[in-house]
Amino acid sequence: MDRIKKWAAKDSTLSALFVIFFVTAVSLRLVVGKTMYTPERLMLMGFQIPEFGLIALGMTFSFLLGGIDLSLVANANLSGIIGAYILTGIWMPGLSPEMSIVCGIVSALAAAVICGSLNGILIAKFSVPPMIATLSTMTFYNGVAMALTGGESIIGFPKAFTRFSTATLLGIPVLFVLFAIITAALGFLLSATGVGRKVYLYGENPVASRFSAIHNERLIIGIFTQNGFLAGLSGLAIVSRVTTAKVGYGDAYLVQAMLVAIIGGVSPSGGKGKISGVIIAIIIIQVLSSAFTIWQLSPYNRKLIWGFVLIFVIFMNHIIGLYGQRKEKTLKEK
Amino acid sequence: MRKRKVINRTEWFLIGIIFLYCAMVTLVNPAFLSFETLFDILRSSAVTTIMAAGIMVVIISGGIDVSFTAVALFGAYVTTKILTETSAAWMEHLGIAFLLSIFMGIIWGLLNAVIVHKLKLPAFIITLGTQNLIFGVMTTFIGSKTYGAAAIPKVFSRFASAQLFRIHTASGTIGVSSFVIPVAIVLALTWFIMYKTKMGRSIFALGNSESAAMRIGINPFRVRLFVYAYMGALAGVAGVVYVSQVRSMYPNALVGDELSVIAAAVIGGTKLSGGQGKLLGAFLGVLIVHLLNNTLIFLGLSSSWNDFFIGALMIVSVSVTAYQERLKNRKHFIFTE
Amino acid sequence: MGQELLTVKNLNKSFGGIHALKDINLTIRSNEIHCFAGINGSGKSTFIKCVSGIYEPDQGEIILNGRSYSRLSPQEAIEKGIQVIYQDLSLFSHLTIAENIAINKIMNSKKRLVSQKEIYSVAQTQLEKIGVEMDLNATVQESTMANCQLTAICRALAMDAKLIFMDEPTTALTGKEVKRLLTIVMDLKKKGYAIVFISHKLDEIFDIADKISIFRDGEIVGDFERSELDKKKLSHYMTGREVEYPRYVRTFQDNTPLLQVDRLGQKENYQDISFSVRPGDILGLTGLLGSGRTELGLTLFGLNPHNEGSIFFEGRELRRLTPGLMKSLGIGLLPEDRAAQGLFANRSVKQNLSSVVLERFSRTAGLLDQKEEERIAIEISTDMNVKTSSVDAPVSTLSGGNQQKVVIGKWIASKPKLFIMDAPTVGIDVGSKAEIYDKIQFYASQGMAILLISDEIEEIVLNCNRILVMAQGRQIAMIEEEERLQASQSELEEKIMQLISEENPLPVQTQGGAVV
Repeated sequence: MDRIKKWAAKDSTLSALFVIFFVTAVSLRLVVGKTMYTPERLMLMGFQIPEFGLIALGMTFSFLLGGIDLSLVANANLSGIIGAYILTGIWMPGLSPEMSIVCGIVSALAAAVICGSLNGILIAKFSVPPMIATLSTMTFYNGVAMALTGGESIIGFPKAFTRFSTATLLGIPVLFVLFAIITAALGFLLSATGVGRKVYLYGENPVASRFSAIHNERLIIGIFTQNGFLAGLSGLAIVSRVTTAKVGYGDAYLVQAMLVAIIGGVSPSGGKGKISGVIIAIIIIQVLSSAFTIWQLSPYNRKLIWGFVLIFVIFMNHIIGLYGQRKEKTLKEK
Repeated sequence: MRKRKVINRTEWFLIGIIFLYCAMVTLVNPAFLSFETLFDILRSSAVTTIMAAGIMVVIISGGIDVSFTAVALFGAYVTTKILTETSAAWMEHLGIAFLLSIFMGIIWGLLNAVIVHKLKLPAFIITLGTQNLIFGVMTTFIGSKTYGAAAIPKVFSRFASAQLFRIHTASGTIGVSSFVIPVAIVLALTWFIMYKTKMGRSIFALGNSESAAMRIGINPFRVRLFVYAYMGALAGVAGVVYVSQVRSMYPNALVGDELSVIAAAVIGGTKLSGGQGKLLGAFLGVLIVHLLNNTLIFLGLSSSWNDFFIGALMIVSVSVTAYQERLKNRKHFIFTE
Repeated sequence: MGQELLTVKNLNKSFGGIHALKDINLTIRSNEIHCFAGINGSGKSTFIKCVSGIYEPDQGEIILNGRSYSRLSPQEAIEKGIQVIYQDLSLFSHLTIAENIAINKIMNSKKRLVSQKEIYSVAQTQLEKIGVEMDLNATVQESTMANCQLTAICRALAMDAKLIFMDEPTTALTGKEVKRLLTIVMDLKKKGYAIVFISHKLDEIFDIADKISIFRDGEIVGDFERSELDKKKLSHYMTGREVEYPRYVRTFQDNTPLLQVDRLGQKENYQDISFSVRPGDILGLTGLLGSGRTELGLTLFGLNPHNEGSIFFEGRELRRLTPGLMKSLGIGLLPEDRAAQGLFANRSVKQNLSSVVLERFSRTAGLLDQKEEERIAIEISTDMNVKTSSVDAPVSTLSGGNQQKVVIGKWIASKPKLFIMDAPTVGIDVGSKAEIYDKIQFYASQGMAILLISDEIEEIVLNCNRILVMAQGRQIAMIEEEERLQASQSELEEKIMQLISEENPLPVQTQGGAVV
């Protein structure tokens, strides 16, 4: 018991998140009933988490740097579409299914990485504020995707590719395993390595980071390129599950990703937040989202709830922040 | 003394682009160059122009708003609903429709202002939240059925088909849509507020430097209340014009278009860092966006290429601005990152 | 003699136990230019903030136009005709000159509407008051520093100011522009205004002052008529040194130069700078704000590329300098602005201390060795005597002096060969100051070369064995070890004080490019 107390005191955000998670999970079980956590339902959650989870991880990194990446979903869509053109044989026809899958995935990821690094270059080399840079590239990436597809869906994927989204490994969705590995790697990167430390330092005070001989440009371009990669993976996951590619898929993920990052205790002003918090937040959002599916809530109702929760969480954070400041002040006066 | 420039460099640049583009389209397809195209563009850009004027004011004050399309939709939808369901004949009046929609817009705008000012988080995130919230409140609590052309109140269709004046050309008679009236009023009012009132000066001052503005006694909260409420009011106007123009009301209309409106303002020289922006520029920005929208087809490109060009223009314009600022800052040893 | 505008009696103000103002008594009259002299942190700015209503004094009386106040609100101060022109001017950079001049008046009027005509007429009237012509339609961003300064003066005049405080208005101006400004200020005096003028340039003070009040350590140590003082006396009062402190003497044996700078120039900041630094040297680099001292420091850290001359480190010429390269060579920089450039405020003391030396405890795959980090942090914080409950406490909970020790410590952890320290003791308490001096001298005696940039002359004279004086981007004097040892501390201080405030300094002659 003491150990739990100690641990809870050490990381109050994380322990608060755990409490929120348990309350949500248990109350949903009570309200919805047995259907809430059937194995099939859990499996479905496992299939869905990677798509927006990857976007949320990207958002987390951009928040940690004191920025924002609005182009993540647009990037996911664009790279998904580029991959789709090759997978379906519209580009590079005549490849064997295996080759087309390899080429498709590689070019989708390459496109995503290029898009991500363009963000990084605009921010680091041209000093465009992240929000403005990614707002512009978001429009542009969507524009490229629209120009390529004319708004039409791309269909006709190789079975092997679409099966990937529902494949399981020892009863666990393969995509989820992949996502778990990536999350663990990123969590490790953030908490235990020099790069992670630099992300926190930059997010806290980019000028001081420059004066500490940290290579700011390299860091920013690196992280935004990594974000591009995450978006690309998410794009492939979406295409694989939906079995079509089209502009506008996953648009709701942008709000969800911000929501996840903010609930997970990541501050949009930079330098504060952990992957562990984000993971719990992802699960909370996914559990809620599943409950919405069971209740057959319309997308309209969901928007209402997501919007409300976002504002509410920001409001609560603000209150908690005020309380914290007062506490610190009294501490300092003593 | 130098004369105060009516048209600045960005604006000349945009005018140049518009001329070049028009010349190019005319060469490919001479049918383009007609009054009809011009009036078409004026008519179709009415909604965007009204919203762009509002977002320009918000951006000049140093803020941002992405919820205004949801506000416009809310105003339009709820007004349509009230007008179709009411039995009172006096309600069937265009003025009433505008008032209702504007009123709802102002309420949402004030809410935005309060949250943005009090919570001190990026306005983008907050207004993205309220966008979902406003849209959700409407579709969940008020209604989500579609009003087809037949169900739309008569005042709207009358407003849409009314013409300000007609001109006679070789190919027949064409008229200027009455939508020009609200657009003109909005532009004139915005110009008046920004340049002729104390509030306008405060908005510019706040966007330039919040701390310097506070030193001369400007209350940032009051300015924000005004700015976001004004944006809400214009969104309300835009909503009514929109339903008249489209002659139907879908519950998912408009939302998602906010980025192209912001893009128009930004391409027109409104600086997202605040404190700078001109109505003429924003208007030219809107014109470019709609010009592309309406005429890419003349060049043999589908309108799907729209965002491609707009996005590219936006990237170029924000990078040039930011890079100049960076060079200047470096010269004065101001390190922003 | 003009009439009394503002009288202050026994004014006291302290911040967190530090007495910023002690029993200030002062009278300011109309038709007078009253100069405040004093080194940074002597209390001049605090005084201005108290009488303009920004700070609430702890004690004392402010008498304005015969009415006594124990505290003023900013609004009251403005209504009574007090206007302050801060160093940053707080102008709106994207608005025009006319709008900037008129905006205060507009905001304080009852009218809701604004006419362009009125803006112009307000602006034009003020310009006529100071007898200057300016392009009213240019934005502040497009205008020169001098015009911005005049705009700020006009803005104050537009508010019917009777008493105008000007905080170092001449720092960013060229010689010619300064002359023009001073003429305008004298003209305003004749028209009945009271001007309080703050400057570090003694020549300017003697050019225009009727009265001079000298601030030191939060007290006024003297009120003088202009005729009662000369430069020598003034600098003596400003530094107020009577006791001679032990001064740093270089004992390190190795005389091979570590850093050599040869006719270095950066277009707009400084020209023709040549010097060398040996291990164990504490080279003082002093001059006024805008003399190029900080800019030179930034160049040597790779943040301000030079375009003339060359830099040699350990005999090798350096090209394409970046902070990363400089760190790897063993050069560190303590930045001028602690909060903005040095600290990661919400991060722990430990993470601040280790921020420069991440690779010192990086293992395979970039993994950080947390134990080693903790060890380094504890070692450095003990060494620097940082007073904190634990190295895990956020650095923002520390006092200013301890925060500065942390910023110094993070570079000490990298064991630099050359440490450039810009303004190492600004805004910190006396106790920490002494400790920092002690540390600087200790590290130098161990063979670290230190470039100490400061405008506190006492600090320079006390700690440096060699001193380079800069003014307006030029190297105007190099005081070598022998000269320094022969002169007494106060002699040196007065000499430097006079040197830096020269109006048109001549560059020092270097013989055949040889650097000393």
